[in-house]
Amino acid sequence: MSERAISRGGALALLAAAPLVAGCAFDPNAIRVGSKNFTESFVIAEIYAQALEGAGMHVQRLFNLGSTQIAIAAMERGNVDLYPEYTGTALIDVLHLPPIGNSREAYDVVSKQFAQRYRIVWLTPSPMNDSQALATTRAAAARYGIATISECARAAPQLRLATIQEFLARPDGLPGLQRFYGGFHFQEVRTYDIALKYRALLEGKADVASAFSTDGAIATDDLVLLRDDRHFWSAYNVAPIVRAATLAKRPHVARVLNAVSPKITDAAARAMNAAVEKDQADPADVAAEFLRR
Amino acid sequence: MPDFTAHIVQHLALAFAALALALAAGLPLGLLAAESPALRSAVLATAGVGRTLPSLAVLMLLLPFLGVGVTPAIVALALLAIPPIVIGVDLGIRGVPVAALDAAAGMGMTRVQRFARVVVPFALPVSFAGLRTATTETIASATLATFIGAGGLGDEIVRGLQTDDPSLLFAGAAAVAALALGADAILGFAGRYAGGRA
Repeated sequence: MSERAISRGGALALLAAAPLVAGCAFDPNAIRVGSKNFTESFVIAEIYAQALEGAGMHVQRLFNLGSTQIAIAAMERGNVDLYPEYTGTALIDVLHLPPIGNSREAYDVVSKQFAQRYRIVWLTPSPMNDSQALATTRAAAARYGIATISECARAAPQLRLATIQEFLARPDGLPGLQRFYGGFHFQEVRTYDIALKYRALLEGKADVASAFSTDGAIATDDLVLLRDDRHFWSAYNVAPIVRAATLAKRPHVARVLNAVSPKITDAAARAMNAAVEKDQADPADVAAEFLRR
Repeated sequence: MPDFTAHIVQHLALAFAALALALAAGLPLGLLAAESPALRSAVLATAGVGRTLPSLAVLMLLLPFLGVGVTPAIVALALLAIPPIVIGVDLGIRGVPVAALDAAAGMGMTRVQRFARVVVPFALPVSFAGLRTATTETIASATLATFIGAGGLGDEIVRGLQTDDPSLLFAGAAAVAALALGADAILGFAGRYAGGRA
């Protein structure tokens, strides 16, 4: 998720700094909820924070932690009690293990390893799976008969790809797709600013775009995701990860968050990401709205 | 390296297409400004404002009208190249000595003959300086075309940034600088040659 960290971090840094400063007064009884520095992490961390507040707990927000490494270090030192993390990120970027496409398996591996190595507990994961993906328009999917990544690999010589440079260089980007699926020699590959690649699709200047599966644009622009039929990409389900020491003192934290997580679906995440990024809504308001439903 | 070479070719193609478009628009506008005092202030004021607009802002401002791709990139770059060309042509023509024009008229030259044999040779060196400025600026700004899918050396720089590869970033930036300096040197040489003949 490093791209998101780069492209989405800046705009919200100030927004997130406000509660950080306001919440500085140390409260030993507060649950300290962290987030990383991109929209989806802000929104889901807000959902966790407000759910805990709704259950009568006092929450301190430590949002906008710069990277996964910083977030994990803050947990280990006891500066943060919990934050939303993705199974795929934990697997690949923290544990340095190979990707696992199956959501259940990925969760089992990271939850076991984190308990042993970091004394961190993975609570119930959400169905939301923010993995890498290829997106296309409904019209292009019908015209070229592509519903899966395999079909896209074969049809690639007729297709134009809109993407970002990072996707062309990363082993889990185009080079990996070519190795794993074969084919994937696009008629044309053009790179854009991350916020503009969907525009190329909508303007008819590209047929397929690289994507994250919970990008707000997928909902607002009515795009379709190609099914990763051979499971090249890892699962990236989100879950609250909590210090074991915190849970020992406050077991009800698990009960509250486990009741919320099943409601966070791909569709819900896309709508919330779009509300923040397209309509400039405050992540806290978006989270509150989600919890009211 | 084939990618890098392709990006250099793309970069130059973008810049030269934009310069051709800018010349096509800038030359008549410069002539208009030089010939008509009434229009001069309006044209030069617009050109002055145009020169101060950041390239990236122009690219993004055009987005709703032209979308993404090669064409909007060329149009945006051309818009940025027009002001120095207009200003150069206007300055060059207004710098033609009145005495030379009077002498040409006295010799019985027609308006067209005076323009071709007096105005153009006198105005060329200063106008050429405008074109030179436009060329270096356009080659440098073409780096931004990467953001709207138009390729060029900006692709190399962005890849260097996104994959944390400073050598790639530096190679892309150095190539842009070398192209801009090279074009400037060639035009400088050509300008001296043209000026020498006049």
